[in-house]
Amino acid sequence: MDAPSFITAQLLVSVVVILAVVHLVLVLAGYCTYFERKVSAYIQDRIGPNRVGFDLNLPALWFLKGLWGLGQPLADGLKFMLKEDYRPRGADKILFSLGPIACVIPALIGFAVIPWGGTVEVPSFTIPLLNWRIEGGPCVVAGAPVNVGVIYLLAVGSLSIYGITLAGWASNNKYSFLGALRASAQMISYEIPLGLCLLTVLLLTGSLLPEKIIEHQAAHGWLVLAHPIAAVLFFTCVLAECNRTPFDNAECEQELVGGYHTEYGAMRWALFFLAEYSHMITSSAFFALLFLGGYHLPLGVEHHLLTPEATGVLAMLLKFHVFLAKVLALIFLMMLVRWSIPRLKFDQIMAVAWQGMIPISLVIVVGTAVLVHTGRSSTLWMLAFNVALAAAIYILLPLMPRATGNKRVRLAGSRWYPAVGEAVRTRSNDPRALEDRPYEGSLPV
Amino acid sequence: MTIREQDVYVVPGPKMTAWEAAYLPEIFRGFGTTLRHFVTSFGQGSTSRTMQYPEVRREHLPVEKGGQEVRNFRGVHRLNRDEQGRVKCVACMMCPTLCPANCIHIEADVSPWDDREKYPKKFEIDELRCIYCGMCEEACPVDAIELTTEYDVVGMSRQEMIFDKEKLLKVYDVTISKKPM
Repeated sequence: MDAPSFITAQLLVSVVVILAVVHLVLVLAGYCTYFERKVSAYIQDRIGPNRVGFDLNLPALWFLKGLWGLGQPLADGLKFMLKEDYRPRGADKILFSLGPIACVIPALIGFAVIPWGGTVEVPSFTIPLLNWRIEGGPCVVAGAPVNVGVIYLLAVGSLSIYGITLAGWASNNKYSFLGALRASAQMISYEIPLGLCLLTVLLLTGSLLPEKIIEHQAAHGWLVLAHPIAAVLFFTCVLAECNRTPFDNAECEQELVGGYHTEYGAMRWALFFLAEYSHMITSSAFFALLFLGGYHLPLGVEHHLLTPEATGVLAMLLKFHVFLAKVLALIFLMMLVRWSIPRLKFDQIMAVAWQGMIPISLVIVVGTAVLVHTGRSSTLWMLAFNVALAAAIYILLPLMPRATGNKRVRLAGSRWYPAVGEAVRTRSNDPRALEDRPYEGSLPV
Repeated sequence: MTIREQDVYVVPGPKMTAWEAAYLPEIFRGFGTTLRHFVTSFGQGSTSRTMQYPEVRREHLPVEKGGQEVRNFRGVHRLNRDEQGRVKCVACMMCPTLCPANCIHIEADVSPWDDREKYPKKFEIDELRCIYCGMCEEACPVDAIELTTEYDVVGMSRQEMIFDKEKLLKVYDVTISKKPM
């Protein structure tokens, strides 16, 4: 008997992949918090969580005690579940609840199109009991092998901003609202260079299918080699899209308390966190797909398991792990960035996007288009173009007009920059502080 | 008041060298610094500054490695006893007078013993209010009140943290071997 037409081998593979990947990403997002805390701790010469194991306080499970604090995410999750579900009085009831949900859903459907394990060859088989005959064939190991895969990723990735804006608006709190506004402004600005860098990749690979992009990279070398500047720009945009340092102005503690999730607590707050970390995982997978060859590893051997030609089950599992390793490495890089680069001011964030990244990515797109049109699409030509562009930026940058936001206003009673005619009463003994002060004593009227 | 143009002073940024003006190399150098700390302190490595507290205590460490200086450490108080086991305090009211945090409360009474006129009927120290400055110890003319080296004092309520005479004398009994008079 024939199966209904929509039940194909591809559908079955997709269901299995969705079930596996959603759980993997949820667990991974939980453990990303652990990873984040551990990495932060080591970078700051601390130890980080190292007490909570899986022993549940039972003496019989003594061997699960401690375990480098691996039980910490579970304990945190349990705490979030058991905490009071609090909502401020002036908040909009429906939108307040909708905010975290609208944030989590796009984060969890984003990686549907990522081809985690390339293509797998499924043999023809019959489902017992129902006696349905399923025709085999090559199936893409992805949740949804759609033709507009990359565009879908871009669209869904920017959807989570609605959740953030809703949350900020519904909280009825000026700090939340400011945080949400900043997040949306930042998102709008950084979507543009993100899209332009993506366009560069699409110009080179000539396809929107994630699978085809990886195949192109397996054949012609990873795109990070062909387009290093675009890769750096793309990674910066990804950081901004995930609201990570140095672009985490939407939730900066000094100015906005907690930003858009100031009024949130318990599991609702945890959903924002889950969304943020899922977003990180999705964006890292996106970056690995576009610039780091996806599951491909150049091992120096022809036709090994990590090339698009290998379609066995073993190859699929191996490709999956290679892809995951690249994603984890990129998440580690994000954490490294967090503790290396200080946060930008909001005007600086806007300046970086509109005055720096958008013009550069426009030049990259135009240059790549011209080179591809004239048939010079090899990695060497692209690399030469990138080097020329970097040199041009380096030469032109000092010639560009620069606005400085670093201004100081004379203030009555200020020790460092007193008002005109005012005497300075106190004097710092620190030579570094004196060096910073342009005037000593009183100023001429 | 609006800010006038002549009041605004633009602070020029520091001049960047040609190397620094390329941005990315310096950013990668920053990653290097971060990564170095990550590697060296990994798994309580050489630069790790954490002490595993309940297992390792400050008493166990040498002073130059962050250990406790027993001779002048100011921890929880105790009331000393004399040779006959009586409270040494003569209720002279020096310590509550001097106490900057007003955390000592003494009620004096006629002494039941012949060698002094007064003794403390009630002696209470609010350990939550105390700032552990050690002034009481300095002021005491008979060396009756002393600060010990105990620092992990816990209680379930604020009331529990107000130490009375019995408790302070008990602290003496517990700590006399560690810190002789």
